Formats: sequence, structure tokens, C-alpha cells
Amino acid sequence: MTSEDTASSEPAPPKISTEARPEPGTMVPERLIGQPDIITVSHVDKWFGDFQALDDVSLSVKEHEIVVILGPSGSGKSTFIRCLNRLEEHDAGRIVINGIELNEDVRNLNAIRSEVGMVFQQFNLFPHLSVLSNITLGLRKVRHLPRLDAEALAIQLLERVGIPEQAEKHPAQLSGGQQQRVAIARALAMQPKIMLFDEPTSALDPEMIKEVLDVMQELAESGMTMLVVTHEMGFAREVADRLFFFDEGALVEEGTPEHFFTSPREERTKLFLSQIL
Amino acid sequence: MTQQLPAPQSQRIVLPPHRQRARRPRSVRTREWIHRNLFPSTAGTALTIVSVTFIAALTVGIVWFVFFDANWRVITDNRWLLFAGSFPHDQEWRLWAAMGFVFALIGLSYGMWSSLGRKDHLFIVLTGIAVILFMGHGGAAFWSSLWFLLSIALLFLGYVIARTIGHDRARQRSLLTRVILLRFAFDDAFSLRGGFDKTVPIQTRARAVRVALFPTRTGANRIVGGLLILALPLVLVILLAGGGASMRELDGFVLNLLLAPVGIVGGLVIAIPLAIGRASKLHAIKWTCTAYIEIVRGAPLLGWLFVALFILDDIIGGDLIIRTMVVLAVFTAAYMAEYIRGALQTLPHGQYEAAQAVGLSRGQSLRLIIMPQALRISIPPIVGQAIAIWKDTTLVTVILPLRELKGNADSAIAQSEFIPDRIEAYIFVAVAFWIVAFIMSRISQRMERAQGIGER
Ligand SMILES: Nc1ncnc2c1ncn2[C@@H]1O[C@H](COP(=O)(O)OP(=O)(O)OP(=O)(O)O)[C@@H](O)[C@H]1O
Ligand SMILES: [Mg+2]
Repeated sequence: MTSEDTASSEPAPPKISTEARPEPGTMVPERLIGQPDIITVSHVDKWFGDFQALDDVSLSVKEHEIVVILGPSGSGKSTFIRCLNRLEEHDAGRIVINGIELNEDVRNLNAIRSEVGMVFQQFNLFPHLSVLSNITLGLRKVRHLPRLDAEALAIQLLERVGIPEQAEKHPAQLSGGQQQRVAIARALAMQPKIMLFDEPTSALDPEMIKEVLDVMQELAESGMTMLVVTHEMGFAREVADRLFFFDEGALVEEGTPEHFFTSPREERTKLFLSQIL
Repeated sequence: MTQQLPAPQSQRIVLPPHRQRARRPRSVRTREWIHRNLFPSTAGTALTIVSVTFIAALTVGIVWFVFFDANWRVITDNRWLLFAGSFPHDQEWRLWAAMGFVFALIGLSYGMWSSLGRKDHLFIVLTGIAVILFMGHGGAAFWSSLWFLLSIALLFLGYVIARTIGHDRARQRSLLTRVILLRFAFDDAFSLRGGFDKTVPIQTRARAVRVALFPTRTGANRIVGGLLILALPLVLVILLAGGGASMRELDGFVLNLLLAPVGIVGGLVIAIPLAIGRASKLHAIKWTCTAYIEIVRGAPLLGWLFVALFILDDIIGGDLIIRTMVVLAVFTAAYMAEYIRGALQTLPHGQYEAAQAVGLSRGQSLRLIIMPQALRISIPPIVGQAIAIWKDTTLVTVILPLRELKGNADSAIAQSEFIPDRIEAYIFVAVAFWIVAFIMSRISQRMERAQGIGER
């Protein structure tokens, strides 16, 4: 399906079309009943050449919801999450985030980028900038905040992730866990409504995983909407409202942690969980 | 204190950490060092003796040649010819002014972003002495020596000023603060009731004046950076503007010193968009940039200088020196673009994605994230190319009717009385080129080390 041709003369904000709503989530946790959907994904396909990485994915995420995405390697988890801030462009279907549709429109793209923060497996901090500059960069160059205001905010964020004393250092001088916390602070600086995490602890030594998970848990408790690709089952069980299981590019099963860890429905889910637990 | 001692080498005695300070006396250690490093075995001793003999003979030979054998009058009599050739004598002050400006700027930059080590001081002093000796030899160069000394003084002055500013921790200082500071320093001095308040020490006043008048570190960074960018045009203005020399009168070493920076800076300015263009997704742009790079690299500089001499004359005309500058920049750009492209390819793709995810536009992420890192990585090959083009400025003599240092040295030894002195002339030329190349490579090392901290 293609997006409608909007008349170029009137730049009306794209609306959520009613005809293509996905079927509502099977099991929405109680604390989120009545919350509006902040992410709506319907019938999304993604191809790399003639390899289909996403196959008819439809789901919705409510505001303040914590979603954990599971799946074997190569199942399209990263591809999916990267489609949500358009680091990848989807080939078919619709993605609507906070009322803004993701399409070729550059204005929409900029709006989305300021709504959605992203944390990468490899941190991807800017190695030539100090920790402080890493965090203030977006504030100053995209939000056009004065330097002092941006730095004040950055210090606050560093306090929140527990490393205000590292502000003047360069990323290479920090441990992996500290780097990832800086990356989280950098994403938070843009005051996003949604945070995407792509395996945030996979590149970390075991003793550093907890410090990053703690920050993420605190973030979850503060009401952030979060989508987390992770293999940390403890985090999934305790923090997640809902789990999505992907396999071969398709959304195979969704449900609460309780549902997943006690009575998964699909064979593939059972197999995956038995391997990972 | 280091906790772990280096693994014990053959005969080194390892002391426990708490006894590190109470080591054997220096004389004993020196003796041990000599034994270990110079006379470890029979073969080692033989090698040491051979090389010491060789080095000693070489040194004696050089000293003998430089101070007794050589006839340096070929240089000192042709001082002006070698240095500035046909540059008008009555405009000499322009050369010194330009030199003072450049030296001061070098001092400022070093003070701002690096520091002069003991080796740098030694190098400056030795070079200074050598230059003064050449000027003094044969007399009549009193004023030139003075101007040169003044330039070196400016270098150190710039260095000291930049260091002083570097200590200033403040990022910004408003005009109001500055006025208040100045008032504090001079208030009672101008009051009618009389005289200085003796309780405020003069040092405090001086400090207040300094802080009030000097830019902050951030401001100074901008000023020195701006001056560096404008340095080349400013030097040309100093030399040429308002009845100065004409383009064609740029000659001798001065010409080398102008051609190379134009080639290097111009080359870098062209190379950056070329490198980005070659990585572009738009085929038209990509192919254009690739064609430029491959065609330019396909022919030697000598060939392109022919183009400057003949073909460009028909197309754009203009002064031959300007055409030569264009060719040098265009030629250097092709090589530098490839180095930068190589650096771009080594940058992890995550850097682009992180920049996007933060919300930077494509232009912003190139300017703020990608290019700074790529340029840092490519400092060593770019400086290598810069040194190459510096030496290649001598090629303009070969085919163009332009005369630079090497060409003028040739004319110096063509004078009948100096025909036997070609060795002296060429050694002088070589040393002159080496000094500048050495400065470039020092600066490059400094830049690399300063960047080291940001590396992965
Ligand atoms: N840029 C690309 N070009 C071609 N194929 C790609 C590209 N990115 C991903 N793929 C393919 O798409 C599939 C899904 O990749 P994706 O990275 O989304 O998997 P994943 O679920 O995140 O796996 P992992 O747990 O290993 O990170 C894989 O088979 C991968 O080879
Ligand atoms: Mg992945």
C-alpha cells in the first residue's frame, strides 16, 4: 500500500488513517489501559535487495509502555527498531509515531528524530568530542540552545546517569558501562518521548551490565516509552510491560512477561526461550 | 608510582618498590648503562667502535668543511638574490613585516594548542644563530639581522601571550565585567582627591588590566583560528597591496615560501568537497570527482606545470605565478582527496547513524562529526603530501620562467667567480628546504599527539 498524495499546497500534518489500524494488542497490561497509542505500525515490509528482513509487521505501543523485543539473531529486531526513527526506510506499510507518519517528507523526519532517542549496541559516541560536548551537540546545533543552558542540562543528565564527574573526559577514557550511560544521556538530552535501545548491554563486560540496566530501569519508572532489544531476560521479566517475539522478519508472538515465561503459545517462541533461559 | 616493574632484562637488578628511591649512585648507574648499551659483547664492542669512528670522522669532516674549507661568499654575496631575487629593494620592509606576522602567528598557535618543548627551543635558537651567521658574514646585513631577531622575538611573544590566555579559565566575559575591572585598576588614579591608593598592590592592578583587555580562551581560539585561515591572503596583501611588489617580482626563497602554502591550503580546500563527492550516491557527482582525481594523478607535476605554462595561458590567461598556484593546488588536491576518502571509509558507520539519531542534518553531521574525525586520521599522509609539494616547488624552475631558491642558486654559481662553489650553494639550498620541512613534520607530530586523546 502507498501513502496518499497529499496536495503539496497545504502542508497538513499527516493523519492516522482509520482503515488500516492493526488489530489491537492481545494482552495490554492493566496499568496502560486507557493510554493512547504512541507508535502504530501496520503491515510493514522491509527488503534488502531480494531478502525480506521484515514481513508484514503490525503492532502498536502505548504511551509510557516498556516493550522488550526478543528473537534469534537475524530475525529483524534491529531492522525493525531502526525503521522507527528511519535509519532504515520501510518499503511497504505505515509507521505513525505520535501522530506523525514516517515517509519521504523531510519535515516529518526532523520531527520524528526529535521525538525518538536511540541508544546503540556500540555506543557510537563521538570520539573527538568531550562527554559534555557529546551531550550538548544536539541541544546546541538542532535545538539552538545557548551554550550555558545546554551545559547545565547536560550536567543534570550526567547526574541522572550517575557520572557527573566525567563531563570533561573524552569517550575513550571511560569504561564501556560509562560510555553507554553517556550515550543514554545524549539521547535523553533531546527530550524524546520514546527511547529505542538496540542491545544496549551486549557489548559490555558482565560487571558493567547492571549499571546500565539500572539507569534504564530508572528511566522506565519515570514514565518514558521504551522499546528495548535485549537478551537480558531479568530486565524483560521485571521491567517490561509487553514482550514481542520476532522470527524471520515476522512478529510471531506478543504478550506480557507472565504469558511468555509461563505459557508461550507458538512453538518457535518455546524453542527460543528454552535455548536462552 | 608504578606498581609493576618492567620484566627483568638480562642484568638489571630489580628492587622492591619501596627501595626504588634508594638506588645506587648515579655514577654507578651510568657505568652500568654504558656497559649494557655500548659494550655488551665482543661483537657489540666492535660495532660501537666502528660507528663511533665513523660518526667522529663525519663530524670532523663537516666541521672542517663548514668552517674552513667552504667558501660561503657564494651565499653571502648573493643573499638578496637567493632570498628575494627581483623583489624591489625599497619594499624590503614588506618582507620583514610578513615574516614577523607569520612568526607571531606560529608562536600564538603553539601557545594556544600545544607547547614548545626543549627540542623546539633548541631548534629555534640554532636556526636563528645559523641565519644570523649567514647575514653577518660579509657584513652589511645589520638591519636584516635585526629584523630577523625581531621576528623570533615576536614568535616568543605570541607564544607567551597565548599561554597567558590559556590559563584563563573563564569561557565568556561581558563588556560590563571588563569595564568594572578597568575601573578597579584605574579608579583612584584618576580621582581628584589624589594619587594611588597604596593598599592595592600594583600587581593586582596589572592583573586586572590584563584580564580586562585580553580575550578569553574561547575568544582567543576564534581569533587565532581566524588569523590562521586568513594568514595567506594577509601575507599576500602585505607583500603586494598599495604599491608593493608586483606578482612577477615574487622571487627566490620568498616564491617557494608562497607557492607551497597556496598549494597546500588550496589543495586541502578543494580536496574536502572532492572526497565527499567521490563518496556521493549521485552518480554525476561521483564520476566527476573520480575523473578529476584519476586524471590529475595520472600525470606528473612536471606535466601539469607545462599545462600552466601553455594551455592555461590560452584558457584563463593571467599571471604565470597565479596559474602556477592554481596548478599546484589542483594537483595537491587530488592526492589529499584520496587520503581523506580513505579516512572517511575507516570511520564506523555508527558515527553517521548516531549523528542522524541526534537530529543533525547531513551537512551538520559532515561538518561536526565526520570531517573532523576524517581529517584527524589523515593528518600524517596529508602532511607527507604537504612536504612533498614543498620540495616540488623547485620544479617551477625547470620549465617555467619563474625563479625560486634553487633556480637562483643556479644563477649564483653561474657567476664566474663562484663556479667552483656549487657544493656550498646546493648544501645551502638543501638545508634551507630541510629546515622548513622539519618544521612541518614537527607540527604534524604535535597535531597527532594533541589528537591522540580523542582516539578510539
Ligand atoms: N544493510 C543491510 N543489507 C543487507 N541485509 C541486511 C542489512 N541489514 C540487515 N540485513 C539482514 O537482515 C536480517 C535482519 O537483520 P537484523 O540486524 O535486523 O537482525 P537482528 O534481529 O537485529 O539480529 P542480531 O540479534 O544478530 O542483532 C539479517 O539477515 C541481516 O543479514
Ligand atoms: Mg541486531
